[in-house]
Amino acid sequence: MDLTYTPEQQAFRAEVRAWIEAHVPKEPLVTLECREGYDQHVAWERTLASGNWGMVTWPEAYGGRGLDLIQWLIFEEEYFRAGGPNRANQNGIFLLGPTIMEFGTEEQKARFLPPMARGEVIWAQAWSEPGAGSDMAAIQSKAVRDGDHYVITGQKTWSSRAAFADWGFGIFRTDPDSKRHKGLTFILFDLNSPGITRRPIRQLHGDTGFAELFFDEVRVPVENCLAGEGEGWNVAMATAGFERGLMLRSPGRFQATAKRLVELYRAHEAEASPAAREAVLQAWVQTQAYAYNTYAVASKIMAGGKIGAEASLNKIFWSELDRMMHRTAMQILGAHAELKRFGNGQINQWLEGYIFSLSGPIYAGSNEVQRNIIAERLLGLPRVGAG
Amino acid sequence: MDFRFSDDQLTLTESVRDYLAGTHGPEVLRRLDEQGNRDPAIWQGLVEMGLTGLLVPEEHGGLGLGLVEAALIAAECGRACLAEPLVDTAFVAVPWLVRRGELGDLAAIAAGERLVPLPHVLNPWVADGSGQPLQSVDPLRNLVMFPAAGSSDPYLLDLGALMSSAQLVGLADAMLHQAVEYAKIRTQFGQPVGAFQALKHQLASCAVAIEFAKPAVWRAAQALQDGGESASVHVSHAKVTAGDAALLTAETAIQVHGAMGYTYEVDLHFWMKRSWALNGAWGDRAWHLKRIDQAVIGGALPIGPEHTFA
Repeated sequence: MDLTYTPEQQAFRAEVRAWIEAHVPKEPLVTLECREGYDQHVAWERTLASGNWGMVTWPEAYGGRGLDLIQWLIFEEEYFRAGGPNRANQNGIFLLGPTIMEFGTEEQKARFLPPMARGEVIWAQAWSEPGAGSDMAAIQSKAVRDGDHYVITGQKTWSSRAAFADWGFGIFRTDPDSKRHKGLTFILFDLNSPGITRRPIRQLHGDTGFAELFFDEVRVPVENCLAGEGEGWNVAMATAGFERGLMLRSPGRFQATAKRLVELYRAHEAEASPAAREAVLQAWVQTQAYAYNTYAVASKIMAGGKIGAEASLNKIFWSELDRMMHRTAMQILGAHAELKRFGNGQINQWLEGYIFSLSGPIYAGSNEVQRNIIAERLLGLPRVGAG
Repeated sequence: MDFRFSDDQLTLTESVRDYLAGTHGPEVLRRLDEQGNRDPAIWQGLVEMGLTGLLVPEEHGGLGLGLVEAALIAAECGRACLAEPLVDTAFVAVPWLVRRGELGDLAAIAAGERLVPLPHVLNPWVADGSGQPLQSVDPLRNLVMFPAAGSSDPYLLDLGALMSSAQLVGLADAMLHQAVEYAKIRTQFGQPVGAFQALKHQLASCAVAIEFAKPAVWRAAQALQDGGESASVHVSHAKVTAGDAALLTAETAIQVHGAMGYTYEVDLHFWMKRSWALNGAWGDRAWHLKRIDQAVIGGALPIGPEHTFA
């Protein structure tokens, strides 16, 4: 165990810090969940790419820097230290990118990864359907083979970024006689294809981040299928693993929140409750624990290890931690918590963050599903209904 | 930067785990409970494994290993609910004596011939010392009032708290395992109770708490080993998270066992009671939270994304 950074890692941190501080937007961007904010965030993706910071762990040939996971964590720490915006491109770089890296052909890697790293193509995900939420194997949207195309018909919902994004990915039923996990295929599609209708969904905060997608005989070339027909479930599980596991929510994001929470508490120390004080301490305790665990997982992967169902432990921890920290901030703010803008005109980011944090235990597989996964696959308890 | 244990550390840990699993099962705890609490043969086994000399420098007849190895072994002692005073003497007293340059007893400690129960002002009593006996809820914990005033050395406190944290994560692991195994075999309504989500989700929450307590313990061990300025805060972090994980798991495990969990017959109570005892020893939750408070809200410790290993 060596918990110190090498001189090279320290130099890398200094390089990241200098670049981010010089380029990070001076004012917080408008929320990603509206047209104006989306465009601002995409512009930021392209600024990042101009410095070759789009996704540092990817090979240089695909627009990355070929760096290791410790360097990625250092990048993320500096990114959130500087208050870097949420990544418009997270579905691409954190979820689909690693999936293509693992399952894609050389042609697919060359075609999809560089524009993803450059922020030129923003990706939406299309997992859930009206009848397939937590129970994703209940997917019904069909992709019927017709020559060298699939013809997609059906409906997806809660598609993150789909209101404004360029491309989407999801799994579709290619074998009409199949049931549950079999007969599904992972397909990438242009969201502007003829036959796709997007209906933005107004979210809790009033803005539109995700959307319903209606597919009416949408023709998609077969070369857009990842890992072969019928392999969709396995590929989707790998993507979900990336989502719940290491990449989607790096510790820096939560450490930055914890730091802001400590500062908020100090400013309201006189009137805040003892319970709030302990919650603020828990914010540091838990974000640090999350960071250590992430470093341990990164070290394991760098040494050739893998993570499987452990990703579910992660997802529960960060999502419930994020909600706890924002709830605490709301309690410290007291009567001011309800204001969308404070008296000085500043946006109440704790309120926005609290609302967003309520989605954490739901998206990427609800925490109830995660607890089932932990119980069944890590602890070895019998599956529901087993006798 | 590499947050992994070495192969040597893992091999050592596994050998101790296997040894204790093979020689120190619940039936041994029951026998000790009925027959005087201590068994020289168990102690001799630990001595022969080299564990009493784990931290004793090689020139004094020990293995000369560090606090990270000791924390790993302490976790195994927790997992086995070991009652012998190995951790207090070999993992708390030895590094403290070495730090103070008091090397005279080290060879005898390594040889298993001397116990060094050290009192601290935060602990009004010691385990396995001589003096006026006190009865702990933990039937295998031999407490005595310590006649003289205890030390107030913060390094001694940090060692005791770190090694308690390590035992607590081992205890928590063991209690989770016991609850899971029981939930697999106890059937009601025609199925194992472990198939019910109401139990699954509680057990999964314990797994989450333990998963995120452990790295804090290992980090604290490394910090105390390296002697950094902030080491004490990290020890407190470990104590709070490990203690919370152990208490959550203890309460969940008894609930999963149902009425059986409330009996003396089920093994769980040994582990649960040890968890209660260690949770309060070497600085209780409030004491360690206070120290975190002074560092984090008080501002002595740099916080934020770039200070993960501050």
